[in-house]
Parts: sequence; C-alpha cells; structure tokens
Amino acid sequence: MRGNGLVRGVRFLILAGVVCFPMACQEKMNPLAGDPAAIKEGASLFRTDCSPCHGLNARGGGRGPDLTSGLWIHGGSDVAIFQTINQGIPGTEMPANSFEDSETWALVAYLRAVSSGEHAPVAGDRAKGEQIFWGKGQCAQCHMVRGRGGRLGPELTRVWAARSVAYLAESIREPDKELSLGMTDPNNHYVIPMEYETVTAMTHDGRRIIGVAKNEDTFSIQLLGQDDELHLFLKKDLREVVHERRSLMPAYTEQMLSKEELRDLLCYLVNLREE
Amino acid sequence: MKASLRVAVVSVAPIILLPNVRAQVTYERVLNASREPQNWLTYSGNYKSWRYSTLDQINTSNVRHLATQWVFQSASLGQFETTPLVVDGVLYGTGQDNRAFALDARTGRAIWRYQRHLPEKVQACCGMVNRGFAMLGDKLFMSTLDAHVLALDSKTGNVVWDVQAADYRQAYVFTVAPLLVKDKIIVGVAGGEYGVRGFIDAYYADSGKRAWRFYTVPGPGEPGHETWAGDSWKTGGAPAWITGSYDPELNLVYWPTGNPSPSNYGGERGGDNLYSNCMLALDADTGKLKWHYQFTPHDLHDYDSTQIPVLLDANWQGRSRKLLLHANRNGFVYVLDRTDGTFLSAKAFGNLTWAKEIGSDGRPVIAPRSEPTAEGVRVCPGALGATNWFSPSYDPQTGWLYVASSEECDVFSAAPQKYHEGHDFLGSVYVPASGEKASGALQALDPFTGEKKWEFKYASPPWGGVLSTAGGVVFAGDSDGNFTAMDARTGKDLWHIQLGAAVYSSPISYSLDGRQYVVIPAGAALFAFALAEN
Repeated sequence: MRGNGLVRGVRFLILAGVVCFPMACQEKMNPLAGDPAAIKEGASLFRTDCSPCHGLNARGGGRGPDLTSGLWIHGGSDVAIFQTINQGIPGTEMPANSFEDSETWALVAYLRAVSSGEHAPVAGDRAKGEQIFWGKGQCAQCHMVRGRGGRLGPELTRVWAARSVAYLAESIREPDKELSLGMTDPNNHYVIPMEYETVTAMTHDGRRIIGVAKNEDTFSIQLLGQDDELHLFLKKDLREVVHERRSLMPAYTEQMLSKEELRDLLCYLVNLREE
Repeated sequence: MKASLRVAVVSVAPIILLPNVRAQVTYERVLNASREPQNWLTYSGNYKSWRYSTLDQINTSNVRHLATQWVFQSASLGQFETTPLVVDGVLYGTGQDNRAFALDARTGRAIWRYQRHLPEKVQACCGMVNRGFAMLGDKLFMSTLDAHVLALDSKTGNVVWDVQAADYRQAYVFTVAPLLVKDKIIVGVAGGEYGVRGFIDAYYADSGKRAWRFYTVPGPGEPGHETWAGDSWKTGGAPAWITGSYDPELNLVYWPTGNPSPSNYGGERGGDNLYSNCMLALDADTGKLKWHYQFTPHDLHDYDSTQIPVLLDANWQGRSRKLLLHANRNGFVYVLDRTDGTFLSAKAFGNLTWAKEIGSDGRPVIAPRSEPTAEGVRVCPGALGATNWFSPSYDPQTGWLYVASSEECDVFSAAPQKYHEGHDFLGSVYVPASGEKASGALQALDPFTGEKKWEFKYASPPWGGVLSTAGGVVFAGDSDGNFTAMDARTGKDLWHIQLGAAVYSSPISYSLDGRQYVVIPAGAALFAFALAEN
C-alpha cells in the first residue's frame, strides 16, 4: 500500500558515535565482505530503507550525511558500522533498525563497495582558507560557523561530517546545481523539505524583498531577507510571490576563486573537525 | 449510617430519562443516517459515502463567524486520522497508537479513554494510525495495529470482545474504520508494503465470530489466480485498508483494494495481479464476489485504489443508472455501473504521465517509458498519488465531487528484492523528482465530464479530505495545518484557521442544542467549531 510513504520516513541516518561493546570490539569482520550477491542485496535494502535520508547512491541527502567519503565519524570498522545501523545514534535522527544480521552485513558490504576507503586529507592551506572564508570570499555574510557569520545560507560548523569534499567543491562552483534543503515540518510526515531557493515577495506598494523562505503555506510566507531580517507576510497583502530555482549564493568561478584558493577553502571547512 | 440513608433516598427517587439519552444505534439508523444529520453514524456519513451534511446553519454568509468551541488532546503525536462518530451528544473517536475515547460532544470533556497495549514490533508502514469506529447497539468496533478486531462498550470503553484476524509478525496491520452492515462489521487489512496476502473480513457484531473472509489475492484453483506468475500470489499484497460503501438494494458492499507487492518491481509477478487495485463488489451476507473492476492492472507505481467509492443514482446518457464514482490515486476519476461493474468513463483530474488514457474497454493505455527502471524514471503522479485515502465529498446541491489532489511526480526505480517475512517488500524505491516543487489543491469536479469547476490551491500536497454541507460550504484541512471553509460553488476561501499541525483526516459535522458543529483532527488534537454565540 503506502497510503502514505514510508520511504520518505526516517529510517537510517549515520550521524553520531557508536558505542563500542567489548565483545563486538574484537576484530570481527563482515562475513559477507565483498560478496557480490550481498552487495546487491545491500544496495536494494539501502534504496528502500536508507536512501530517503542518505540519498539514492549514499552520497548524502537532506537529512543524512554522505556515506561514500570514507569518513566514518562513529567508527569505521565493520562492527562499528554494523552497530550504527542496528542501534542508531542517540541524540541524532539516525534511528535503530530491525534488520536481520545478514541484512545488516549486506548493507555494510554495500557501503564498503561504494565508499572510497580511507578519507583522504585535502591538500591546501587551512589558514589561507580561513582568511578566504571570513574575508575575500565573503562566505560569512551568509554562512555561520560556531556562532559567527550570517544566517541566510546553511550553517557550516559540521559540514565536514555531512558532505563529501567533492560535493562541497561543486556547491561552491555551481550552487544552483543542487539546492540545499532547509526546514522539514515534523508534523507533516510526507512533505518535501523546504529548499534554499530564491524567493521574492512583492508588496502592493512596490517593495521587493528577496530572501529564502523559512516557511510558506496557502495564506502566508515567512521570509529571511538578504538584510538578515525576518519578513512575515500574509499573501493577501502581497502582489506576488516569485520562486526561482536558483541559489542566492553566487557561483564562485575560477576568476573569483582560483583552484588553489578553492583547495584552501575546502581545507578549512574539512578541518573544522579538528577545532 | 449516612451512606445507607443516601441509598434509601436514591431508591425512592423517580427515574428521569435525560432528554439526550436515546435508543441504541440500530442498523436501521445507520441505513437512514442522512435522516438524522445531528449525528454522524458511519465513517463516510452514509452508506453512499457522500461525506455530505444536510445541516445548513453554517452557510456561506455566516461561516466567517466560526469560533473554536473546544479542543480535545489525544495525548499522542503522529498522524491523527480518525473520523469520529457522533451519537446523541457523545463523540467517539480513535487515536494514534490505538487509543480511543468518548467525549461529551458539547464540551469535549472525556467520558472514557482506552489504549490498546500493542506489541513492540508492529509493522505499520505509514504511521501508528487508526481511522475510526463503527457502531451498533452499545458497542463500538475498532480494528487494531496488531491485526485484531475489538468491540468496546460505548459507555465505558471496556473491551467486550477481541478477536485476532491475522498475525502482526507477518506485518498484517489494521488501520481501517470498520463498516457496519446489518449484523456484521467489515474490515480490510493493510500491509501492502510487506508482501501480505490481502483480505476483507466480516465479523458478527454480537460475538466477534468471523462470518466470512474474501482473499484479495486468489489462491490456487480460484478465478484470478492465473494473473500471478509462479508463487508471487503468496506475497501479492492487494490490501484493503479504506472503508467501503454499501448498497442495501443490491446488498453489495463496494470495497477498494491496494497495490500488488512488491510495489515497484513487477518482474516476478507477471500478469494483471487480481484483485490488486480493484473495486470489489461483495455480497454483504456471504462475502462472495459479484463483480470486480481493476483500475490499474499490474501496477508498478504504488497506485493503491484505496479511495472511497461514492455511490450515486443518476441519469447517465439518458438512462437512470446506479453509479459508482471513484477519484483514483492513479489520476483518473471513474464512473462505473455498480450493479455489474460496467466501465462507463474515466477522466484525468491531475497531471499524469503513466497512461495516455483509459480505453473504451476500461483498461489503461500505458504510456511508453513509464515502467520503473534500475536507474529510475520520472512518472506522474508520484507514488503518493493524484489523491489518496482521505475522503472526497459529493454535494447533491452542486452535483460535484470535491477531491483533495496532489501535484507531484516521482522518480521510480525498480530492483528485484528477496522476500523476508515481516520486512519491507517494495522492489526498490521512489523519490520526488528533483527540482520540482510539489503542491496540491482542492478540486471541484463534474464527475461525469471530468471538468474542473474550480480549484483551491494548497502550498503542499494534502492529506486531509473534504466535507460538503447543505449550507453551501465545503470544509477541508491541508498539510500546512490550515482548516479552510470554501464556497462550494466558487472555491472562494470564506474562513480559515491555522491549527498548528498537518491535517490527516476528513471533517464531519453534527448538531447539538440547536448548534451545528464541524470537527477536524490535527496534530494531537481534535478541534470543534461552531458559529460564535454572540
């Protein structure tokens, strides 16, 4: 049936640390490691149960991080990943699951098959990247890190855990390609999360307020404007609300941000982990 | 001494019947439910499933004066999908996690509360929900998430009987509001996400003894079994999780069914997969199949046909006919002859790409490149459908069908999947098409021509159904938490209120003390509105 879509429900999010049990911490390996049939089964299970949060190909979704980067925040051993899937991560949206052991191992086998192995460090100058972020790049006008910065774009303190380096690089060069997801209404189980698209509200007296919609329904809209202020409107008081499928973030071309500078910036973002 | 004195006084006091204490609910009352609009006696308001109230105190000119009369908190989050019953001043509802309650319909004060103790591993695909009671005599009937059927005493909430219909460990689940017909209550099972074998059951209301069962996936030797390749019938799905309608003259129950399992992958279930995605006409006494019509043969997009069948006697192309209207999740609104299931028409009411049309033989003409693939293919409507289980309404004053609809397309992928008892069995997944903003609307449709008379746009796809009323007002809730009253003829917004949580149910109306009420659940609460007294 799916009167309502389970596939859109939260099933599988890997965000926080795994508890290591004494028995499990012994060097137990995945009995299905590398088994093509298991990888196939794991892929199928992943699509059904995990992709709603982690994305169809495990490269990160609106709610769950990229699982292909090789960065396993909560333990990268087979057993640790097994435990994360089975028991979830308290304090995060990653729930416990009730797979058979063989299914969990199949999922681990699949994740190994799509993950890039060791998480490679980003070659670049972290200090220079930090300067770009807070200075020349003007990233902090719209992004916040550890309580400093702007509010218009996604908060980035933990972006190193949520997204691969390749994804971050793409988002900087081509921010319109895949808009980041914003608020999900916890009371609306099937709604697609709000996106960081550009919204313009035009008032009857000719004012234009451009920003991102924090929320919207048939009768009202709640905008965070480029002026960093909230603008709350009844639609009957507006002449028009225009949605554009583009990000308010400029595309950082090579003229604006050289290859080297991009590497530095990525190095800064990835190494926020160490701070 | 004091106590015995009081007993003596009471014993000689005359017995006074309060004015609102009436006879118990009989089958005849339910049969003629439209004659007592002060009550709401069955899930869809009457056996024709119009969800139409003949009350007209609230009308297009005064509806703006609606005011909240009371709010009841069910004490449980999740989707509050109940359609309450109202009988002689008492409102009976079911809640999340198989809670139930009886309220003073004037004040919202609880008379009793009940909660079933559920096992841990209930597999409800889409929330721990329940859609309401049926009632006969002083018993209320409720289906449960662990696949039991219960009778509760209407004055206390005590369990009168409790029967097991199926094994919840195999992912059999009930969410449906039962339908009372004569001395039996009818329920249909859910579990199409888990490869169950669907069925519709009837139980004697007095004892809980099962009267009949109709398997929606035919077994070996039964007609229709040949529409399933190999052993695929064993996990064929075809659940029946929404309440049907009833024609007392024909003595037929009309009950719709859901998707075949696994929903996205059809490679191992070759054939039409009867009786998935069908309208079934069953003899109410025996459960024998009189006819069936399949809306979406060999479905690959999760297009359950579990939408309310609306019964209507009308002139069809110069001839008086007994009709059945069905606004289907697959995006077509159908007209069938309900005496024999003859297909009469099907018109698109939403954006759909899976089929070009429904041919004159009643079968869909499938569009090329609509079959899910390993990589994924974009198809409209999305898996959640052009509409879904929430109720439509038929208004005899306008002659229009009011349907809450979604505008959403999904990318459907497909892959073989091994069946594990009690586990998801979907054959891959669907995801919203990238870069497309889903939305919804309340549509007023001419059911015969499919013509859209008006639509009221929703910002998000809806999960709330519709009530039409003789006051010329239609009421509906949306997923953004608004409960809105619209002019039945124009769709104009006459009044709305933000309830703070998505609406996952359809409104009802009743009257008490000469005042008309409209009731809708949202979030954990049930809200009752009436015209302000001053």
